[in-house]
Amino acid sequence: MLLPRFEFHEPASIDEACEIMATYGPKAKVLAGGTDLMVNMKKKILAPENIVCLSKLDPMHSIEDKGDQIVIGGRYTVAELTVDALVEKKIGALRSGARALGSPLVRNRATIGGNIGSARPAADLPPSLIAYGATVTLQSSKGKRDVLLGEFFKGPGFTEMRPEEILTTITVPVPSDGEGAGYINLGVRKAQDCNVVNVASFIALDAADGSIKDARIVLGSVGPTPLRASSAEDVLKGEKPDEALFRKAGEAARQDCTPIDDFRGLASYRKAMVGVLTKRTLDIAFAQATA
Amino acid sequence: MSDHKVINSRARRIDTPAKATGRAIYVDDLSKPGMLYGALLQSPHAHAKILSIDTSAAEALPGVKCVVTAKEAGLVKYGVSPARYDETVFCHDRVRYVGDEIAAVAAIDKETAEKAVSLIKVEYEQLPVLLTIEDAMADGAPLLHEKYPRNITGEVHQEFGDVATAFKACDLIKTTTVKNKRQDGGFIEPQGCLAEVDLDGTLNLISSTQSPHYIQRTVAMVLGLDVGKVRVKKMYVGAGFGPKAGTNPMELACSLMALKTGKPVKMNYSREQVFMFNRGRHAFTHKITIGVKKDGTLMALEHECYLDGGAYASFGPATVYYAGSLLAGPYKLPNMKYDGWRIYTNKPACGAQRGHGAVIARAAFEQQLDMIAEELNIDPKELRQKNMMETGDTTCNDLNMSSFGMAECLDAVTGGSDWEAKKGKLPKGKGIGLACGFFVSGAGFPIYRSDTYHGTVMIKLTEDGGTVLVYTASAEIGQGSDSAFAMIAAEALGVPLECIRLASGDTDMGVDLGAYSSRQTLMTGHATKDAAEDVKRQILEVLSDELDVPVEGIDIVEGRITFDRPVDFSELRTRYIKEHRGWTDNPDTEYLTFKEASRIAYLKKGTIVGTGKYKPHFLGGTYKGAAVGTSPAYGCSAQVAEVEVDMETGQITIVQIVDAHDCGKAINTTSVEGQMQGSISMGIGEAMHEEVKFDANGNVINNDLAEYKMVTALDMPPVDAIVVETNEPNGPFGAKEVGEGAIMPTIPALLNAVYDAIGVRIFELPLTPERVYNAIQEANKE
Amino acid sequence: MKKLIQLTVNDREVEIAVEPNMTLTDLIRYEIGLTGTKKGCETGDCGACTVLLNGLPVNSCLVLAVQANGCTVETIEGLETEDGLHPVQDAFVEHGAIQCGFCSPGMILSAKHLLDKNPNPDESEIRAGIAGNLCRCTGYQKIIDAIKSV
Repeated sequence: MLLPRFEFHEPASIDEACEIMATYGPKAKVLAGGTDLMVNMKKKILAPENIVCLSKLDPMHSIEDKGDQIVIGGRYTVAELTVDALVEKKIGALRSGARALGSPLVRNRATIGGNIGSARPAADLPPSLIAYGATVTLQSSKGKRDVLLGEFFKGPGFTEMRPEEILTTITVPVPSDGEGAGYINLGVRKAQDCNVVNVASFIALDAADGSIKDARIVLGSVGPTPLRASSAEDVLKGEKPDEALFRKAGEAARQDCTPIDDFRGLASYRKAMVGVLTKRTLDIAFAQATA
Repeated sequence: MSDHKVINSRARRIDTPAKATGRAIYVDDLSKPGMLYGALLQSPHAHAKILSIDTSAAEALPGVKCVVTAKEAGLVKYGVSPARYDETVFCHDRVRYVGDEIAAVAAIDKETAEKAVSLIKVEYEQLPVLLTIEDAMADGAPLLHEKYPRNITGEVHQEFGDVATAFKACDLIKTTTVKNKRQDGGFIEPQGCLAEVDLDGTLNLISSTQSPHYIQRTVAMVLGLDVGKVRVKKMYVGAGFGPKAGTNPMELACSLMALKTGKPVKMNYSREQVFMFNRGRHAFTHKITIGVKKDGTLMALEHECYLDGGAYASFGPATVYYAGSLLAGPYKLPNMKYDGWRIYTNKPACGAQRGHGAVIARAAFEQQLDMIAEELNIDPKELRQKNMMETGDTTCNDLNMSSFGMAECLDAVTGGSDWEAKKGKLPKGKGIGLACGFFVSGAGFPIYRSDTYHGTVMIKLTEDGGTVLVYTASAEIGQGSDSAFAMIAAEALGVPLECIRLASGDTDMGVDLGAYSSRQTLMTGHATKDAAEDVKRQILEVLSDELDVPVEGIDIVEGRITFDRPVDFSELRTRYIKEHRGWTDNPDTEYLTFKEASRIAYLKKGTIVGTGKYKPHFLGGTYKGAAVGTSPAYGCSAQVAEVEVDMETGQITIVQIVDAHDCGKAINTTSVEGQMQGSISMGIGEAMHEEVKFDANGNVINNDLAEYKMVTALDMPPVDAIVVETNEPNGPFGAKEVGEGAIMPTIPALLNAVYDAIGVRIFELPLTPERVYNAIQEANKE
Repeated sequence: MKKLIQLTVNDREVEIAVEPNMTLTDLIRYEIGLTGTKKGCETGDCGACTVLLNGLPVNSCLVLAVQANGCTVETIEGLETEDGLHPVQDAFVEHGAIQCGFCSPGMILSAKHLLDKNPNPDESEIRAGIAGNLCRCTGYQKIIDAIKSV
């Protein structure tokens, strides 16, 4: 399969990259791991005139422990997320998402920035990041801005990003005591799969009486973007956590999604699985919150 | 302990070191000076008339050397079986599926060739698209091929015994309908070829194929070439599984363009084109009715089958026979009625894929046997044992089990899997299931009517050095056939494996029908053994003459010449050493070596060449279609599968599979186990998550290996492969097949295990989590 | 317009001008002439094109040749030494882990990387480690046996 022809740019700094994006805007695409863009180009879905390769932007290949936050550079790879001790210890649901993604070969190239930027509804990293309350920093030649990840996605392949912007970092608040999160994905086979449903749940327990003071449940693959299961969250808030409650939340979550029938599965099955995975991820989040 | 010196061992294969190091050459690794690249124009429509084709813009593009259509290729029909030839290289008046070939371009590079293809202007008039059997057979539906009313490629109606009467005597009659989906071969190496015409006018075609012989004949016939001036070779091939057993249009287009340009032309399929070409497993709908007595005795089978075959016949006419004929065993079944229809639809053609037409039929039958066992309150193993055929038995449709180790296989798998302890005793969500199956060791007849030998082999001894050169036109496609023949030659001749140097896959070396229907070990193996024995005889005759010992008193064992009496061979050694003056390692053993003996034989007779050939004795009955299903021998197997099902999501985890396969005699035990495990992995894929999906316009939606879901290492369970050996009288050293028979029990073992786990029967494949979940929900409602 | 790149392939320095739209797989196979790295799907789904890029196994079909500038690439040809087969290669041959051989170069490199990081992986770690390399012939059993034996 041949790739289309393009102009290749390899900026040496983020500023240089932003300049190039400012010049070419919608006629340019950034390239990091290439696990999404290269496939789209080979399948003739995309043929950008300019490719802006981020390989030399070392500052974007980073992870920083800032105490109550972890700041991850957009070029940090999915493989690195799976083995990073900080990620495992503090934001384990992200690690679950990273481990579920693709294959070991793909993970060695795929980046957190790319998995967010490609905005596929079934992507493995956004649900847990949204559940943690992550924000992304978008940089252009005009400056930087932060966007809550929960407000970042607009549709399949569409985000808040402007054509001249680059996603440079992801800032993830670290759960404190009494807080926890979990992520589960479901597909057809056990590796290299596109999710049929994936769910991340975050809960925060009231220190005084152990009731749920906050909950964020994020559903993937069942709408044009990752969706918040707000009726499920309402079921949980203020209540004491137990099996029955989590099941009830799972059933409520089914109403919060708008899956379609497609060649990967029927909407009815997806809705049912939203219920099951919501309940199961709440179990994980609760176990972490009470650990 | 084996009584054999070379075979029946775990010898290292002769081809795998090259494959492990990257030295093994496959067709796309080749490059020739001045080579052109070819690209195909393929129809974007599933069904349309071609009103006009304008290649002028393509021809004018700089770098384009050749553009060909039906005008240049001609309209000679080809296919798989001559009575059903229905394909031409290119379409001239009609396209019948998305991907149907219309033209080809050869250019200086791939980019130019693809650009030129995009410049070919074709005017289409779209026709109604028939994507289902119902649509294709409906009144007034357009005919894909004028000769075939109601779009029936072929139909079969057979009855053996008297089913209606037998049903009257039954205590229980059960009917179920089972469906699967179209599969794809999924070999990791896409098809590719390189064609070049010598200055002496020979067309050399190198292709990733399972049968150089069938390609050679088809290329000669279609392009009007003298078959003696067509040489087809294969390099190493990255597997085939069936779809590579017939000629593809790319091979013909590539050859044509090499002839026209006088330059080498290389072409290959992208993975997308592999899906467009397909020629994999049909989608079957089997309606099976089995009648039994209340003690479990099988009395009769009534079987109706519809095959969705795609736009061309390919192997389909044989598939529709296999779907019926191979249900006549492995159990004693005196009455069998079969009606089958293979239907044309506007989709890529289906062909033969591992196990051919028998796989889904076997799944349906074995599942129903379990249902019958449950209703009669008989253990599923006992029900099978009770009805099992034995060595020497013949089916109602004249298939003879000259060796049949099914009872041993059943014992081996139930013993090896804790069957007794687990059957019916596992908690909800866990299950264990059993199934049996069998398959041919080579089709009894070639795909074209002929008296031809099915395999010929030549063995030549080097004139010095005692190396044994084995030449076979057979196809090593990964199954280990090169090593098997090297081992058979070494065994039959009496020399160590290291003495053999084998070359294969070249039509100049002889005739071999190729790697399909699990024929090579038995058939080409026989020819190899014959050729080796011929060579051995010639050497022994020379030695007998030289040493004045009767031939019966001489043997060759592990490279040593042995005599049944004391013999003074010093004169021969002296002659040998005289001819090797200066060598520092001349033989000084107390025995005469094969190296010396072969040198002496050369000096006496000239080059020592042995030939071998094989064709089965006439097989089968005299009824219509009797040929399909016949074979000199049948491999058989049993499998037990253990599963865990997540009752809330429908996801299945296969815990373990135990498989026992009777291969007659394992020429290479490691290779036999490898074929068993590989067959099972394909069976699991088909049972669990493989299916080719189409949209409403006849496009394959999941035309990549991400969405066509084959088994990864995480999906595959551990497989305990148990080799059973019954010494097949019709096989070389007792060997018969393993390559396809081993897939037979897999799908039904899983179906039966899943039932054991969830308490619900599922009659449609694949067992995706969604399908399993829906089945559980349905059952809960009741 | 072509770009000049420099990379180390199997311990040898290579300097070559390439079109930006050339993949690393095609660079290795057609420009450098190392045909052991195979093309099975070209979209990162089968692993037949696996090479070690800066020591990590990747689908070379998803890497542009220009992105390999300044990198080290190890292909299957780099494993053999003057003393013979690499232990992983030898184990694959010994255990019957190779049938058609088309997945083998990629599979062996993934296996080598796994063992370099974790000399005694258990079965689940092995299966996870080679999950990106599809094999249609072996059912993976003997591949796992081979890796365990090293």
